[in-house]
Amino acid sequence: MPGGMPGLALSRRALMGRMAVCAALSGMATAARAAEAGVATLAPQVRSTAALMHVAFPHERLDAQFYARVALDYLAGIEGTPASDEHERGLALLDGSHIAPFANLPWPIQRSMVAKYDQEPFFKMLLMRGAELIYRDKKVWDMVGYEGSSLEYGGYLHRGFDDIDWLPATGDVN
Amino acid sequence: MTTYSLDDSSVFVVIGSGAGGGVLSNELAQKGHNVICLEAGPRLGFGDIVNDEAEMFGKLTWLDPRMATGKPDPNFPVWNCKTVGGTTMHWTGACPRFEPYEMQARTTYGEMSDTTLVDWPMPPEAIAPWYDKAEIRMGVTGTQGYPHLPPGNNYKVLEAGARKCGYSDIDTHNMAINSIDRDNRPSCHQLGFCTSGCAVGAKWSTLYTEIPAAEETGRFELRPGAMVVAIEMDDDNRVSGVTYLQDGKRITQKVRAVAVAGNVVETTRLLLNNKSERHPDGLANSSGLVGRNYMRHFTIQVMGVMPGKVNFHRQTHLAGVVRDERKHDPSRGFAGGFLISTVPFTPEILAKNMLVGGWGRDLTSVLDKYDQLAGMLLTGEDPPQLSNRITLHPEARDDYGLPVPVIHYEDHPNTIAMKEYAWKVGRRIYESLGAEQVVEMGDYIPATHNMGTARMGDDPTQSVCTPFGRTHDVENLFISDGSLFPTAGGCNPTLTIVALALRQAEHIDGEIRAGRL
Repeated sequence: MPGGMPGLALSRRALMGRMAVCAALSGMATAARAAEAGVATLAPQVRSTAALMHVAFPHERLDAQFYARVALDYLAGIEGTPASDEHERGLALLDGSHIAPFANLPWPIQRSMVAKYDQEPFFKMLLMRGAELIYRDKKVWDMVGYEGSSLEYGGYLHRGFDDIDWLPATGDVN
Repeated sequence: MTTYSLDDSSVFVVIGSGAGGGVLSNELAQKGHNVICLEAGPRLGFGDIVNDEAEMFGKLTWLDPRMATGKPDPNFPVWNCKTVGGTTMHWTGACPRFEPYEMQARTTYGEMSDTTLVDWPMPPEAIAPWYDKAEIRMGVTGTQGYPHLPPGNNYKVLEAGARKCGYSDIDTHNMAINSIDRDNRPSCHQLGFCTSGCAVGAKWSTLYTEIPAAEETGRFELRPGAMVVAIEMDDDNRVSGVTYLQDGKRITQKVRAVAVAGNVVETTRLLLNNKSERHPDGLANSSGLVGRNYMRHFTIQVMGVMPGKVNFHRQTHLAGVVRDERKHDPSRGFAGGFLISTVPFTPEILAKNMLVGGWGRDLTSVLDKYDQLAGMLLTGEDPPQLSNRITLHPEARDDYGLPVPVIHYEDHPNTIAMKEYAWKVGRRIYESLGAEQVVEMGDYIPATHNMGTARMGDDPTQSVCTPFGRTHDVENLFISDGSLFPTAGGCNPTLTIVALALRQAEHIDGEIRAGRL
C-alpha cells in the first residue's frame, strides 16, 4: 500500500475508493490526471469530496461521474496549498465520526452531518469553488437553460429577448 | 499621438479615466487645455471584451488588496475597475437624476441621529442644465428625445407585477445605452453582458467615447498602467507634480493642476497617504473629513421562480425600473427612498450569491429553474455617517508599497428599515404573478456606488471641497468623482458624477482663462 496510509480501515477504504473512481473515470479526460496523482492515494479523498459536492449542490439531472469529475478538479486545484490541509481536516471530521466512510452513508445522514460542519472553513471553501466548477460547466448551462456568450450570434435582440408569452396583458409600456 | 514632456507644467493632470476623470479630461481638452490622464489599469480594445463574466471580472476588476470591517466582505468590500474607462466598463448604464428633495436631504428629512445629513451646497436648479448636457452627451434613453430601449422579458415580469401592486411610474429606464445608432456606436443588441464591458460599444463607456474624443483634439495624452503614488507640493502650497509607477519605474510629471477621480477608495487613499508638515493628516484634510461619510447605497435582490419561462439572461442587465417608492414618505417608517430595477445573474453568480443563505436543495431547487427566474435589484439611499469611513492600514502594504485601504461601514437604522420594507415590496411584486418561490437575497454584493468621502460644501471646516470640487486647502487640486457627494440620494450616481465633471470643467476653464490656475 502507498506510504502514509496507516491502519487497515483506511487502506481498505483507499482500495474501495480506487475501484469506484476507476470505474467512474473510464474514458474521461481527467482520468490521466488522476492516474498521475496516484489514484490509490486520492481515491477515498475523491469519493468523499464527490459526495460532499453532491450534498452541497444536489441536482437530480447530474450523475455520479459528474460529481467525481468536479471533485477531481477541486482537489487538483487545491493540491499543495494550505487549502488542501484544511480540506483533509474537514474530510476527517466527516469520515471519523461514523462507522462507514462519509461517501457510503445514506443521503439524509450525509446531509445532517454536513449541516453540523457547514460553518467550517473547509466547507465554505468547497462551496465557493464548487459553485465555480459546477456552474461554469457548459453541460450544466444546457441543463438549466443558460445560453452563455451571445456576441457571435448578434445578441438576443432577434433571438428571444422579449419572447415571454405567459404574462397578463398590461397595456402600453412606455 | 500627442505626448507631453515630464517637465511641462502647462498640463492639467487627471488621475483616473472613468466617468469623472474621462469626462473631465475630454472636456478640458475640448476647451483648449493640455491634459494628461493617468490610469492605473491597461487599455483594452474591443477584441479583449468577451461574453464571459468570469474572464472579464479578471480583466476589469481592481483586485489589489482592500480590507473591511463592519458589514462589507472583509476581503472584497468594493467592486470597481482598474482599466481605461474605469468603472464605466462595468456599470449597467442606469442614468437617473437626483431628485431635488434628495439634494436637500437635511431640509427634507429633518434631523436624523448619528448622521451628518446636509443639503447640497447648490440649489437643484444649478445642476439641472448640467444634467441636460450629460444626458445629451451620453445619449440617455427616455431623455432629450432619445427613445427608450425596447421592453424585454425580465422587465416585462417586473412591470406586470408592479402594476398589479398598484405602481405606475414604470418604464425601461433612462439608460446610457444606445437605443438608436449614434455617436459612431451601434444600438443595443441585447447581448446580456453589460457588466462585462459592452462588446459592441452600445453602452456608454469612457473607453469608447470620451477618451478617443479627447485624443482627437491633439491636446490629450493617456498614460495607461500609471499608478499614482504621490502628489508633490511646492513651498506655496500648490501641487507641483504627480508621481506614478509605470513599468517598474517611478516617474514625476510636472503639472498646472490636478484632478483626482479614483472612484472614492483610491481618491481617499491618495489624499490620506500624502502627509506633510503642512498637511499632517493627509492632503486637503484640514477638516478631518477625507475618508469619512462613506456611502454606498444598499443593494438587495429578490428573485422569483415564475410560472413560465423568463430567460432573464437574454437582455440588458438593468432593463427597466419602478420609481414609485423613490420618494420621501415617512409613513413608511424611514426617510428617503429606493429604486426597483431588474437584474439577471449567470448560474455561477446566482449560486455564489445564494450560498450566503444556504446550500443543498435550498440552492439547487432555484438553479434547476434558472430559465423561469425573474430578478430585481432594490437600491436605496443611505445617510452619511462620520463613522463610516475609509482609512489606511498601519502595516499592510500592496504590491505598489502603498498602505492597504480599510473600509468600515455599518447600516444606519434608517437603512435597515428601508431594506426590510423593500424586501417585502419585491416579494409582493413577484407573488402577485403567482411566483412558485421567491428568494430574498441580502446586501452582500460588494459596493459599486461609492460616495461621500470628500464632500462638497461652503464651510472649509465642514467639507473637503468647494461646490466646484476644488479642495478648500489646495487651490490647484480638484476631486472629480463620487467622493464629492454630500448625500447619496436614492439613485445610481454616474449621471451626477458626469454632470458635476462637466460643471467643474467649465469652472476650471474659467479659472485658467482668468489666470487664477
